[in-house]
Parts: sequence; C-alpha cells; structure tokens
Amino acid sequence: METTEKPLSGQIVRAGGSAGSNALALRSATLVARGLRDLARESNWLRVQAFRGKASKVAVSSVGTACAISAESRGTSPRVTVYDVHNSYAQMALAVPEETPALAKYLPATFAWSPTGKFLAGTWAAWQPSIHLFDLGDKEFVGSFGKFKQPPSYLAWSANEHFIAAATPGGKLASLRLWVLGEHGESIEDPTAAHAGVPDWLERQTYEAEFGEEGAFGGYGRTTFSPDGKSLASVIEIHGEWADDSILIAEAPSLRKIQSFQAQGHITDLSWTSGGGSLIYCAAGQTYRLDRETLELELLPFTAEMCTAHPRLPLAICFSSWVRESARGQLFAVELTTGRVFDKCGADGVTELRWSEDGIKAYAVAKDGAVYIYEPLAL
Amino acid sequence: MPSKVTNQGSDQESTKRPMKAIVKPEERELELKQEEKNALQVDLAERELRAETLRAELGAFERQYLHFVGSRYAELDELKAEIAAHHAAEQPQDGRFQKAAAEARARAQETKLSAGEKSDEAPKSFEASPEMKRLYREVAKRVHPDLAGDGNERTRRQVLMAEANQAYERGDEDKLAKILTSYECSPESVEGEGAGAELIRVIRRISQARGRVAELDAEMDQLLHSDLYQLKSRLDEASKLGRDVLAEMTAKVEEQIQQAKLYLAKSSAPQ
Repeated sequence: METTEKPLSGQIVRAGGSAGSNALALRSATLVARGLRDLARESNWLRVQAFRGKASKVAVSSVGTACAISAESRGTSPRVTVYDVHNSYAQMALAVPEETPALAKYLPATFAWSPTGKFLAGTWAAWQPSIHLFDLGDKEFVGSFGKFKQPPSYLAWSANEHFIAAATPGGKLASLRLWVLGEHGESIEDPTAAHAGVPDWLERQTYEAEFGEEGAFGGYGRTTFSPDGKSLASVIEIHGEWADDSILIAEAPSLRKIQSFQAQGHITDLSWTSGGGSLIYCAAGQTYRLDRETLELELLPFTAEMCTAHPRLPLAICFSSWVRESARGQLFAVELTTGRVFDKCGADGVTELRWSEDGIKAYAVAKDGAVYIYEPLAL
Repeated sequence: MPSKVTNQGSDQESTKRPMKAIVKPEERELELKQEEKNALQVDLAERELRAETLRAELGAFERQYLHFVGSRYAELDELKAEIAAHHAAEQPQDGRFQKAAAEARARAQETKLSAGEKSDEAPKSFEASPEMKRLYREVAKRVHPDLAGDGNERTRRQVLMAEANQAYERGDEDKLAKILTSYECSPESVEGEGAGAELIRVIRRISQARGRVAELDAEMDQLLHSDLYQLKSRLDEASKLGRDVLAEMTAKVEEQIQQAKLYLAKSSAPQ
C-alpha cells in the first residue's frame, strides 16, 4: 500500500467569524490600549511609574521619554538611562565615549531635552565638564562642546533646536553661554556664540560681594528661550534667605540685555506664555505674570513653585509642594485669563513640567520615577 | 512410551487450543502508535476547545467594547478635532494651531476606523453550553485536519473545522451536530488497510498533531498576554464584585463627550 506525502502541518483554516475576530483584534488594538489606560486614571491625570528607586536627576521630554541618573541595583554604577514613560521600560543607557562609569551617585548633573524630544543635552560631573549631546532619534552620541570650570545648573533649547544655552552658578565665575547648533543638531558649527558673565547692571554691593555672602550674586539659574527663539530669559540668583532674584531678558544669540526685572524672593520657575508676550514665574510660592515689554507685573491668584505655560493656549500646568491641610503636593491646571484652577492631582517630588509640542498633553516627572501624564479633554 | 504419550497429549492440546495469531512487529508498533494518536487526539481536541472558547470570548468582548466604548471614543475624538479646527480658525496665522488641528483630524479618523460601524443591536458576550463544548470537542477529535490522511482529506477537514469554529462562535449547536454526523457517515471516515503504510500514516498524524499542539500553546500564550485579555480580565474581576466596568467606562467617555460639546458650544458662541 502506498502512502502519499501530505502537506506540511499548518493552521486550521480560519474563515468567517474567526478570521473576522483576528482582523478585529488588530484594528481595535489602539482603542483597547486606550481603554486600559483610561481605566487606570481617575482624572485627566494618569500616574505611571517610569522606573523604580530614587534618581538623583531626572528630566522628561515632550514626547514622553525621561532620562534619569540612577543605580538600578545595589553594587552597580550610576548611569544615565532613558525610559519610555508611556510603556514604563528602560529604552537605553547613555554613555559618553571614553568615559569610565561614575562611582558616586549624587554628582551634579543637568539634562535638557530638545523641543522635539530628538536630542538630549546633558552635563554630569562624572563626565568631562562639557555639554554632551545625544541624538535619541538615531540613537547615537553626537558630540561634546564647551568647557566648564563650574558645571551648568541649567540648560535650555530654543524652539527650533538651533540654540543651546547653559547657565552656571559660581558667583563671579558664573556665566550664561549660548551655542549655535547645526540645522539638525548633528553638527556643531562653532564654539560659543555668545557669553555673558557677571551682570554689571546689578547693584554694586551685589556685584562686588563675595560668593556665598548674603546678597551676593550667585549665578544664572533657570533659563528659557522665547517661543520665537529671538530672546531668552534667565534667572539671576542672589544669595541669602531674604534676597530677591532678578530676571534677565536678553537677545538670542547675542545675549545682549534687553530688559531686567527684580522679583520678590527666589525664583523657582520661569516660563514664556504662548506668543511670548509675557513670562510666568514663581517666586516664594507665589505666581506672577510679567509683561516683557512694559514689565508690568500681575500677581496670579494661585500659589505654585513650578508653572509651565501651554505652547498655544492661555493655559498652564503647575506644581505646588505645599497644599493646605494636605500632606501631599499638588499638580493642577490653570486658565491664565481667569485664574481658574482645575484638574488637581496629588503628587510629590515633581522636578520638571513639560508640555508636548502639539500641546495635547503634558508631563510632570518626579525623582521617584513617577510620571504624571496630563491629557486634558479639549486640547 | 511416555514421550509419545506426551507428544500425543501435546498434539491433542494443540488441536483444542485456538491457533495463536502471529503479530508482526509493525502491527504491534501500529497498535502502540494508535493508542498514542488516540490520546493525542483527545488532548488536541481539548486544546482546540480551550483556544476556540478564548477566541470566541475575546471576539465577543471586543465587539461589545467597540460597540459601547470604541464608538464613543470615536465621537469624542471627532469633537476634539472640531475644537482644534475651531482654535485653528481663530488663529489662522499661527502654524502651530493649524498643525494641531490637522493632527486632531487625523486622530479622529483613525479612531473612527478602529471603532468601526456601530451595529444596531448590542453585541452579546460569548458563553458556550456544556453540550456545545462536548460537540465541539468531538468534532475537533474526529475532524481535526492535523489528524488527516492524504491532502484531499486534509483540505476537506480544514473546511469542516472552519465551519465548526464559526458554528461554535455563533452558538449554533445544530450546525455542530450536523458537521459531526455528516463526517461520521462519509466514506472518508473509513481508513485503509495495511499495517506498514498505516503505521507511517499514524506516525505522521502524530507529528502533525504535536505541531498543532505547539501552535495552539503559542497562540494561547499570545491571547493571554494581549491587551484585550488584560482588559477583559479586569472587567471580569470587577464583575464578580458586582461592578459593570464596561458601563462605567462608557459613562466616563460619555461625560467627556458632554463636556466637549459644552466647550465647543461655548467657544463657538458669539462674544
């Protein structure tokens, strides 16, 4: 008796309902994921855990990636890791060529994501004292530029990703520097385009006081480019518990002073409103709006230590670590035209607020790896 | 002589006892392989039943989800697109508003496509009766393509199995019984003779069946790790506590829709 060769073992032919179900599953995957995510949220805020443990430094991008310096487990060296916030997983560890891993965990560092989330500029005392630039889109190290005696405390990108500014502390050694980058960030055209040292327009006693003295110039702090990239605002930090910081508004890329304004108390955050007509800043827990032309000041009717304005609308998200009759801090949204506070969410240890480029969502990141994603209804 | 007596006795005995059938090695092997195949057949049918039940449950859940929640997401995203278009119309010079409006429109279209057309009747959840399960198990045991003989038979079984899957998902008990009866009565259900050839056939069927078992395991693993299953599990858990989470989700999106409508009406109202 002969046996005939049979076809290879395969799947049962699925027709009608079953094939339909499979097609349905593929088609509905996005909506199912959306339902799962919405199920976890109680409000327009969604809390996700990007990583476990405490990071010494963390920054979040406009597309939902976070970078943090963290030791993943005992005995391992700290490293800069990039996390996908939406899916809570580590994407990659960043390394600067020819640098050895750091031993100490809490070394000074600062990171700044470019507006599109493609580039990450960073400085870390474990690396050479320069700005190191990574292209996260192409997953490559682009290069390093700048030399610092004092590591920057703040880095800022212009909206078109053409400029990077670095603000350093250090009293008389402090500086505000600006670099012009290549069109796509991949090439660095030139060394420092502009440099500003100790502001000579400060009061004489502030200017001449020794670093660390009450009332002495401490250095440059939070810095942010205007939406059109033609100017930037930087905090002039003054030492002392009761001292008042100032805001410098300068041209970009020349860093020539346009305006300066003395605030009341220490400035904890600084953000341009959409259109760049004014600055929102937080000082001593209060929030103010400063007109960039007239320097007219308006006290806003809510308290916050951090506040970031929406890229297009008169709206901001804010964080306040102190909330009356609550052990926790709070994230919230606010209408800048009316001062109406809404969409409150309990949160702790928030270190950065960031809107997505299209303004339909925002991120607040905390040192414990928690990321709060804000997806308001009408944006 | 005793020896003769013994021989005679022996001869007598041999005439009384039936002739012992000679079992060829391939026949003994065939018997063992048949047993193995039969056990695998039962196991495979059980696994097919489990996989098909899960597929049918997830398929039905997905239809319900898209009907109640997905369609509302589509409505919400449509409203968001209208709101973004309204902002863009207010700020015609600002490219960021135009870009946001275009992206919102694309999202709305994608959601609409994903949600599909909403049926007039609300889809029901899948639940198979014990009789349905028994019938499906029998069909899978007897008709399974991976236990088929030649190519033609395999093709025929594939068609029958697909029909059985459809009938099971629809809960059509009569159709399942019909498939089983028609197959049992067909001449193809009678297998040929010949131990050697049959042994090869059985070994190949076992191999095919094992391959299918591995496929089913992989598919089950994939289904059990899918977002759809995660969502369904959470809803099922909540259901045990008396909560209808699907209705809660629907209400939540519905509330957002109402807010979006209000926002749009407020924004569009003349100042």
